[in-house]
Amino acid sequence: MTVKIRFFARFRELLGTDIVTDVAPGMMFTSLITTVSRKNPAGYAAIFDENGTFHEFVILMKNGKRIEIADAAKTPVEDGDEIAVFPPVAGG
Amino acid sequence: MLSEREQERYKRQIMSFGQEGQERLKKAHVFIAGAGGLGSPISLYLAVAGVGRITIVDMDVVDQSNLNRQILHFDRDIGRKKTASAEEKLREINPDIMVNAIDVKIDETNAAYLVGGADGIVDAMDNYPIRYLLNDVAIAKEIPLFHGGIRGFYGQATTIIPGKTPCLKCIFPKAPPGEVFPVVGVTPGLIGMVQATEVLKYLLGIGDLLMGRLFIWDGMQAKADEICVKRNPGCEACGGVVKTARNKK
Repeated sequence: MTVKIRFFARFRELLGTDIVTDVAPGMMFTSLITTVSRKNPAGYAAIFDENGTFHEFVILMKNGKRIEIADAAKTPVEDGDEIAVFPPVAGG
Repeated sequence: MLSEREQERYKRQIMSFGQEGQERLKKAHVFIAGAGGLGSPISLYLAVAGVGRITIVDMDVVDQSNLNRQILHFDRDIGRKKTASAEEKLREINPDIMVNAIDVKIDETNAAYLVGGADGIVDAMDNYPIRYLLNDVAIAKEIPLFHGGIRGFYGQATTIIPGKTPCLKCIFPKAPPGEVFPVVGVTPGLIGMVQATEVLKYLLGIGDLLMGRLFIWDGMQAKADEICVKRNPGCEACGGVVKTARNKK
């Protein structure tokens, strides 16, 4: 099955965007983002802390709906899902 | 009533939203938090649009490194207070409005007082702790918060109407770490224009606001996205606020 991952802002600079990837059935949200972001260590470090947990400010969305960080490890991704991962942009 | 001079000054936009709309702008009071990258274009365009009263707050001094984006301030202003520079430029660009520039650091002791009876708060800050404070004031006074943020070629904006839309804490419950962020002047220019457009639409009561929608701009790809954002019933800032609950300060 196929899902699309959209990174935004700094995450996009480090990891690209509109990444369409094949995933095995039953894969969880956190595992998917971990796998994809490992392609660039700086990208991984921007999203995850040293324990492999999402930084608390990271926003996760699945098909336009918010996924809480606490739920991401037990939220399965499904065929056709569009996933968004972004940081708040702070500058003014 | 608009003066003859105002009729002439605003006649091309009166074609768009009428004399009554222009009078609504004249009666409005907008609070702008920050006279930097976002605050510069926002205040200039709200001033020329004829928003009758603008309060703009900043605590900084103009630095040479500000000048790539903070278009209220000129080379000759380096070393001056941003509020002095802002007040001068805004008064010159439109002498028919009132400008109140306040040189102070916004904090929890003065935020509600500074906002006073403004019709809306424009977020032109560069950090989340003060944004959260403005969010609290907007909720308490039941006035909108026009949020914007930028980094490099990326920007975001949304319009927060307490009781109707998610608040800033619903959308971004945790602040990102502070940093010296890269910024190209065109990005706050563009995001500032989105915010200023929202302010005008809100004051005029026209169009569809960015309510429950986070506008995201990627200047590198010239792509605008929109993300639907929802209220968090457990939000520590607005969780208890419903439309009928009044909690004015």
